[in-house]
Amino acid sequence: MSTRKPLKEVVSEHKLVVVLALIIIVGGSVGTYFVIDYLNAQNPKRITLATTTSTYDSGLLDFLLPKFTDETGIRIKVLSVGTGTAIQYGKDGNCDVILVHSRSREDDFVNASLGVNGVPYGIHRACIMFNDFIIVGHTSNPANLQPGDSILTVMAKLRDAMDAGNMTFYSRGDDSGTHSKEKALWKAIGVDASIRWADQADKYTETGQGMATTLLMTYEDDDAAHEGYTLVDRGTWLSFNDTYTSLNILAESIVGEDLLLNPYGAIPVNPIMHPHVKYIAACRFIGFLTSPYGQALIKSYKKNNAVLFQPDFGTCDFDTSCTTTKDEIAIWTPFQAEFADLTV
Amino acid sequence: MSNEIIDGILEGLRLIFKFDPEVWGIIEVSFRVSLTSTFLAALVALPIGSFIGLRKFKGKKEVTNLINTFMGFPPVVMGLVVYLLLSRNGPLGDLGLLYSTTAMIIAQFLLAVPIIMGTAKAAIESVDPALKETVLSLGANERQLWWELIKNSKKSIIAGFLVAFGQAISEVGAVMIVGGNIRWETRTFTTSIVLETRMGEFGMAIALGIILISIAFIVNYGLTRLQTRVL
Repeated sequence: MSTRKPLKEVVSEHKLVVVLALIIIVGGSVGTYFVIDYLNAQNPKRITLATTTSTYDSGLLDFLLPKFTDETGIRIKVLSVGTGTAIQYGKDGNCDVILVHSRSREDDFVNASLGVNGVPYGIHRACIMFNDFIIVGHTSNPANLQPGDSILTVMAKLRDAMDAGNMTFYSRGDDSGTHSKEKALWKAIGVDASIRWADQADKYTETGQGMATTLLMTYEDDDAAHEGYTLVDRGTWLSFNDTYTSLNILAESIVGEDLLLNPYGAIPVNPIMHPHVKYIAACRFIGFLTSPYGQALIKSYKKNNAVLFQPDFGTCDFDTSCTTTKDEIAIWTPFQAEFADLTV
Repeated sequence: MSNEIIDGILEGLRLIFKFDPEVWGIIEVSFRVSLTSTFLAALVALPIGSFIGLRKFKGKKEVTNLINTFMGFPPVVMGLVVYLLLSRNGPLGDLGLLYSTTAMIIAQFLLAVPIIMGTAKAAIESVDPALKETVLSLGANERQLWWELIKNSKKSIIAGFLVAFGQAISEVGAVMIVGGNIRWETRTFTTSIVLETRMGEFGMAIALGIILISIAFIVNYGLTRLQTRVL
């Protein structure tokens, strides 16, 4: 107690000095960081990547990106948002490169006629990797999905079971890559789910949440009358399948079918549209991802002993919509050169 | 599931006592953003708010309504506003400040100013008019009167800072939107808890939750004790 009084007196005698000192410290801190943040925005060795939550949450980027930084000294700020948001950030020029998994929207992004005044938002897409989507549900399987069912059969069975009120399908409902894939699958059997089951959340629930939350809701919905099913990417599934032990894979790709495949593409933001973007650094990053070294790193990333993402640069002809393979190889090979002597 | 929770709590305690560098980075960002924004807001809002409380002037009622309305400004909407201002397409886009702690400080500053302004004004106005009379009768000029009234209502003014700081440290929407929740750079307690929960890393989420609660309690307790000693 006796040491406190003098300090208090000192402080109250020199109130002005104390306040001024505080102002200088705080002002100095804010000023310094303002300058740092402003300079970082100009620094060509600091780029911003907008990607999707499912890509980020798999942990792949936290594994992969430091290796790129070690080699090139370029640091990457990662924004993990929904696919639609990532693409919008690219359009607005708030990032330098995007990594998403929605092929049709990626194609639109680099399409000059869909840009502004004939200038596309991005130039030169690159195939990076793919994984696949699966449908998971509870063991009782009220929709009676069988192994070996084609995806069209699966969607039709789900539709019928939902109409009959035997199950609930959990949709992301958030404009994400997963949500786009789900909508495409419904479309393949001529169904618009959000219209067909509008206002019937007990049949079709649009969570508006990320993949992990949607999976959790599916897992929790084990009420015998309305068990839950959902569409999930294999990467997220492998992260969670030992937690949600009552869920099983009830449908996956069968041979020769690519509707459930989930390819990822990276696109640099067009520097003609947004002169401030760090185009060269973004290209070096894509060069890294598509190089034999980067592709091997992607393949080496495992969870629960399973490979999460299959690298597919230059070999993505599995998907008939992937028609630009030769062009992509020509464009990106030069950027891979600096990583040629590295091995995993 | 309850096994998860117990594992999470144990993992949380382990991360705290291990001085994990990522956790400390998050502590640094959270504190730096919330403290500087609250302090700067106080610097601006306290003089203005207390002067408004002191004087009578035409349009005072409208100004009061304006301040009180802005006190209730939804934080996440402020995040949207600041995002639109700092986005490359926006008026301040060329500064490139989006996704930085500076942007987060700006957003929290704008949220804190009306709160501190409103509470300072109310504090000054609620001082016993008899005290005001006494001070004036002793020959004080306006600035001396203002200072006396502030000293007298220290408790309420400090409460205003507390409210603003409390809101800043537990705010999640605005800092997520303008900060981008970038690893090592713009992650705060709140945005990290959202991320880790979403990724199913309950250990990290619980660790951050425990730290955040403790810090909030310590700050609030310390300031409450300060208030009682001030009188």
